[in-house]
Amino acid sequence: MVYLEEKLKEVQDSGRLEYRSKALPTWCPGCGYFAMVDGVAHALNALGIPKENTVVVSGIGCSSRFPFFLDTFGMHTLHGRALPTATGVKVANEDLTVLAVGGDGDGFAIGCGHLPHVAKRNVDITYLLFDNGIYGLTKGQTSPTSAKGFKTPTSPYENPDQPLNPLLMMLSYGASWVGQSYAGQPDHLKEMIVKAMAHRGFSYLHILSPCVTFDKTHRTYGNLGMTVRPVPASHDTTNQNAAMQLATGGDPPPIGVYYAVPRPTLGDSLDGLVMKAGGELPRRRGTARAAE
Amino acid sequence: MDATDIQILIVGSAGDGTIAAGNILRQALAEAGYKVISFDVYPPEIRGFGKCIARMRATIAQAYSLKQQSDVMLSLDDSHAIPHVGEVRDWGAVLYESKPVANAPQGHITGHIRPGQIPYGCAIREISEKATGANRSRNIVALGYLAGLYGLPREAFHAIIDRQFKKRGAEVASVNRKAFDEGYAAGAGAFKLDDVAFGPPQPNVAPGTVVEMINGNAAVVKGCLDAGIDCFFGYPITPATTIMERLATEMPRHGKRLVQTEDEISAISATIGAGFAGTRSATATSGPGLSLMQEMLGLGTMAEVPSVVFVSQRGGPSTGMPTKTEQSDLNSALFGGHGDAPRIVMAPTNVEGCYRCAGKAFEMAEAYQTPVIVLLDLYLSNRYETVAFGQKSPFEPDVNKRPRKQDLGAGYKRFALVEGGVSPRAVPGDAGGMHIVTGLEHNEMGRPADSAEMHLAMCDKRLDKLKGALVHPDFTVTKRFGAMGKAAVGLLAWGSTFGECLEAMFQAEKEGIDCAAMKVVMLSPFPEEAVSAFMDDCAAVLVPELNHDGQFARLVQGTLGRKVVKLTRVPGVPMRVSDILGEIRRLAGRNLPQAAE
Ligand SMILES: Cc1ncc(C[n+]2csc(CCOP(=O)(O)OP(=O)(O)O)c2C)c(N)n1
Ligand code: SF4
Ligand SMILES: [Mg+2]
Repeated sequence: MVYLEEKLKEVQDSGRLEYRSKALPTWCPGCGYFAMVDGVAHALNALGIPKENTVVVSGIGCSSRFPFFLDTFGMHTLHGRALPTATGVKVANEDLTVLAVGGDGDGFAIGCGHLPHVAKRNVDITYLLFDNGIYGLTKGQTSPTSAKGFKTPTSPYENPDQPLNPLLMMLSYGASWVGQSYAGQPDHLKEMIVKAMAHRGFSYLHILSPCVTFDKTHRTYGNLGMTVRPVPASHDTTNQNAAMQLATGGDPPPIGVYYAVPRPTLGDSLDGLVMKAGGELPRRRGTARAAE
Repeated sequence: MDATDIQILIVGSAGDGTIAAGNILRQALAEAGYKVISFDVYPPEIRGFGKCIARMRATIAQAYSLKQQSDVMLSLDDSHAIPHVGEVRDWGAVLYESKPVANAPQGHITGHIRPGQIPYGCAIREISEKATGANRSRNIVALGYLAGLYGLPREAFHAIIDRQFKKRGAEVASVNRKAFDEGYAAGAGAFKLDDVAFGPPQPNVAPGTVVEMINGNAAVVKGCLDAGIDCFFGYPITPATTIMERLATEMPRHGKRLVQTEDEISAISATIGAGFAGTRSATATSGPGLSLMQEMLGLGTMAEVPSVVFVSQRGGPSTGMPTKTEQSDLNSALFGGHGDAPRIVMAPTNVEGCYRCAGKAFEMAEAYQTPVIVLLDLYLSNRYETVAFGQKSPFEPDVNKRPRKQDLGAGYKRFALVEGGVSPRAVPGDAGGMHIVTGLEHNEMGRPADSAEMHLAMCDKRLDKLKGALVHPDFTVTKRFGAMGKAAVGLLAWGSTFGECLEAMFQAEKEGIDCAAMKVVMLSPFPEEAVSAFMDDCAAVLVPELNHDGQFARLVQGTLGRKVVKLTRVPGVPMRVSDILGEIRRLAGRNLPQAAE
């Protein structure tokens, strides 16, 4: 009891509550997603980003309910369309901090076609991918990251497919920041969200998270807790090859930063086009607003 | 009154510079002070020897469409031109190569010219070789010949040729100018009969306006820029691509941003993202792309986010006829989304309308917080017209309904159920304006809520607020022409086909038929009262349109519960004025013999 009070006080003092909305998460008790809300609130607080300058864009899925639980601007869009929508927000206003959030089905099934493009353009947004290896919202069907052999209502005998390797994909698409974390290690998660958001350019954070309701055999806290291990200290985060090796090296692969090499963002390139065309760069809205 | 009304047709193969010659000619005619309307036909393949046609009509009075018969044809390739000889009127002229290297498979063109038509042969190739040392300038020589024959002002052509070829070096420009002059001399020296005569043009007199020779897509671009477009996201597709291409050049010059996305889903998603962020944003596509955008447009309606979508229709369904015109995406534009998803849909009827609709679309998207679709078609996108533009933008730069300070904060209701349905909208960056938009049915705060009462209230809100579009300031929702009282036949039309309707109406009037016409620019929300009042006045209502089903006719019948007469065609080219006229006569009880056309 004393512990709980202390914990509450700590949270209040930290300012993190300010970023939480009045709405209580609608997730199942024990769902890995709860850790994300606290993680993002912590990161916004740590980085001193005003909530009115933050836009959280999600797709559809249990994970995509996320924006409702923060007191920022948010768009709960369509299944698979968080990234292109978030790109539009960022292109429209470079002064906004834009986060995209979604599940493994949202990002790597229906929305998969957008991934290479957002990565290659290096849109300055952070993408938090909540990977539970299952379709949670539609009650437990096979997802593109489900393990081979996994039995679900749509693969009642077994899942015949190999799972995708999201980290390897994002690395090969040229994402300028790639990392992995685990919902069962909230402190690590917080730290990683801060790092991902602090990166200027497209940052991809893959977050392993159990669906306690529909997956009793594969991606459970027990299984994940036993397998995740830190990225080795010797790993060079500027070496794309080494990062790819890390991504192919284990199941599930290590948690930590895989790759981080800044390069010009989409916004930088678009500003470059304006200069080339002899145009004048606009006064950024946000700056103008802050001055008002 | 002997008003100039001359239609010229240039026919050749893709390699002959047919369209380039047409381009120079129509610009010269416009600069000389004529009103011009022009539409080219390209072969579907990119390279090769497919047939190209440049058609233009130069007038002193306002014209609304091309004529079915041309007054002059210039052949740059007889094998392609011979089938079009019949399109030239009696006592009209056919200009051709008098010394072809080889005859066309159908024989020499002179063998096909009718006795009443006037042949003008010119040694085009020889003159080109003499003037430039090559036969590559044949199109320019031929243009010069035509200009010389009819005494068109030489300076206008010089200026345009200089402009056109300067990019390829001063040398190229001067060679082409020489080719033009040699052709001009030959034309001026030819023995000319009394086929056509250009009367003195009337210079544009409207003060403070500038006349531009511009096509529908370029007019859309101008409208976007004058409305202050901030962001554009698009994926190439005929016939909409040139909107994006032009904007890609123009927007960075104005400090604005354009991104070519990976598909149309991404394009509309980003457009709506940028709209949420408070900017004026748009995308452009054709029927196939519109299909891909439907789900996201539904979110636009549900989340009440402004966005503008230009849709230039082509022959469908599926990949259909990408280089042919059609008006068959009306149903998709109006009803393509799932659920009860009302949106604003408008269709300009001419090039100037493309400009006005483009600019107004941004105002309306913002004012009514909803997606706006502007329906064009290949014919309108590629049709050139001389349009007089004012020097100042006629569009409002900001018509957002913003929340008052005291409404912001913890209690801010983004979707407040207010009179008229348009709730004050905060955008990212506004302190205290934080809210979530969602595709889920929601309450006034934007939180998921699916009670029967809430769903009904929100459905009402999303529909009711669009009514404002019917009385939006300075926008022509419908417009009536011809007989103002009772009419035997009323033409009710939308989009590019309205021009042909007006031409048919004028001809019917000359025949003594009481005829009226109404263009319907705003298609959703549907202007029920205006259309109904028009129908009250007309004994019969004819709805000509370029689709198979009579999509607009069905809309009118379904909305008003009143019968109309359909006139549907799907030839891939504009409707024939004579087809409309024939129907008008039939409905008016006149069984006049068809004019020999
Ligand atoms: C176009 C479309 N297809 C299907 C659905 C149904 N649907 C909603 S969420 C979802 C899968 C969610 O899985 P995931 O993205 O992994 O999120 P999770 O619920 O596991 O967090 C599906 C198939 C939909 N909403 N829209
Ligand atoms: S169904 Fe699974 S993913 Fe969805 S909230 Fe429950 S535990 Fe979480
Ligand atoms: Mg999932």
